[in-house]
Amino acid sequence: MKLYAYCLVEDVDALDAIPLGISGAAVRLLQVDEFAVLVSNFDSDTVAVTRENALDHAAVVRSVLDRTTPLPFRFGTLVTEQQLSIYISARRPALQSRFELVRGCVEMSVKVIRELSSDNSMTESQGEITSGTTFLEEKRREIRGGEQRAAEANDISTWLHEQVENLTRDEQVTVRPSDKLVVAAAHLVARDKIPQYKETMAAAREIRPELHFLFSGPWPPYSFANMELEFKSQFGVS
Amino acid sequence: MELSPENPLSAEPEIETSHPEEFVEELRYVADTLPSRINIDAASVEQGLAKLVLTLIEFIRRLLEKQAVRRMEGGDLSPEQIEELGLALMKLEVKLQELKTQFGLTDEDLNLDLGPIGRLI
Amino acid sequence: MSSSFDQIIVNEEWDSTDLSLLETLDHVLNRGLVIAGEITISVADIDLIFLGLNVLVSSVETAHEVLRKR
Repeated sequence: MKLYAYCLVEDVDALDAIPLGISGAAVRLLQVDEFAVLVSNFDSDTVAVTRENALDHAAVVRSVLDRTTPLPFRFGTLVTEQQLSIYISARRPALQSRFELVRGCVEMSVKVIRELSSDNSMTESQGEITSGTTFLEEKRREIRGGEQRAAEANDISTWLHEQVENLTRDEQVTVRPSDKLVVAAAHLVARDKIPQYKETMAAAREIRPELHFLFSGPWPPYSFANMELEFKSQFGVS
Repeated sequence: MELSPENPLSAEPEIETSHPEEFVEELRYVADTLPSRINIDAASVEQGLAKLVLTLIEFIRRLLEKQAVRRMEGGDLSPEQIEELGLALMKLEVKLQELKTQFGLTDEDLNLDLGPIGRLI
Repeated sequence: MSSSFDQIIVNEEWDSTDLSLLETLDHVLNRGLVIAGEITISVADIDLIFLGLNVLVSSVETAHEVLRKR
């Protein structure tokens, strides 16, 4: 019998009003040292990525957000009690520092779409390219276009950062210069700053009518739980 | 809905946008790119490895193209050298395309998402 | 040596025009604490060690964030 693990919490020894979990199983608290894990019984080796399961998972993690900020597990985390115990004791300091980071906060999401200019694709081609020189010149056009898009994308990302840097404790940002969805940001915001954050975002969107925004939240801090990120080094943009 | 310490959070997070269809189209990749099954039979492992290898080669090929363009712009290559360089890179592109076809991989399959660096292609 | 990784199977039945579902998926998949770090899978008695579930999944899916922190 495996356990489906939803999230890790600190300083909680009882649960109330937690919805049913995956496959309608009851969710309970498993105490592991100074933490607790929300789990439910799961009797298969595979978790299907269905609408129902994804929403059930999200609902369970969200239900604790009222009283504490959890560290969510990734969807599909099936473990034994022993594996949980080993995992937690092996990573105690990192988990403690993660909790310290997210304590009292929630995650707010911003996604930005911008229209790509038409020289995204191959420019007027003069039939089949047979010359090496023409080939390189074509590549140069593409690369320049790519660099331009990358610069614009970074501008948008920097601008967004500046709008909220006083309101966020941390952020996780992905920039994709070649995509319409050019910037996706997760902002870690203290709960009492949420109204101000929302106002700021509403105002920001007015300043940039050429950009399309999607705001969502509050979420449990999914984007700030993964500790592996601590060990990755910073890449520069090429 | 205003969020305050007194009000409990709503059951579902709010989503707000003036352009829902556009975002649906862009976010579809989350659902569309999940494999229908994570296969661990030999054939899939082989294809998975081919994909990793070709992705790396594609990454290097693009770096080479960038380097070639820089050299060309730098002005220290003769017209003949530029022509040769271009032809060589063109052949490399064609060859890689053949390999992709051979393994049944599309450009999207090799489109590694490198976070802040962006996507490969 | 048996394989010991969480096998996730995708079911094609969702409505992929549901924005709130897509946003939810974007949060619960590929984010959050990861327990099963290393996977050892054997094929024909040869152990192939993959770097981690994240990497295994990213070798067959194209949307994956390797580094997000700015």
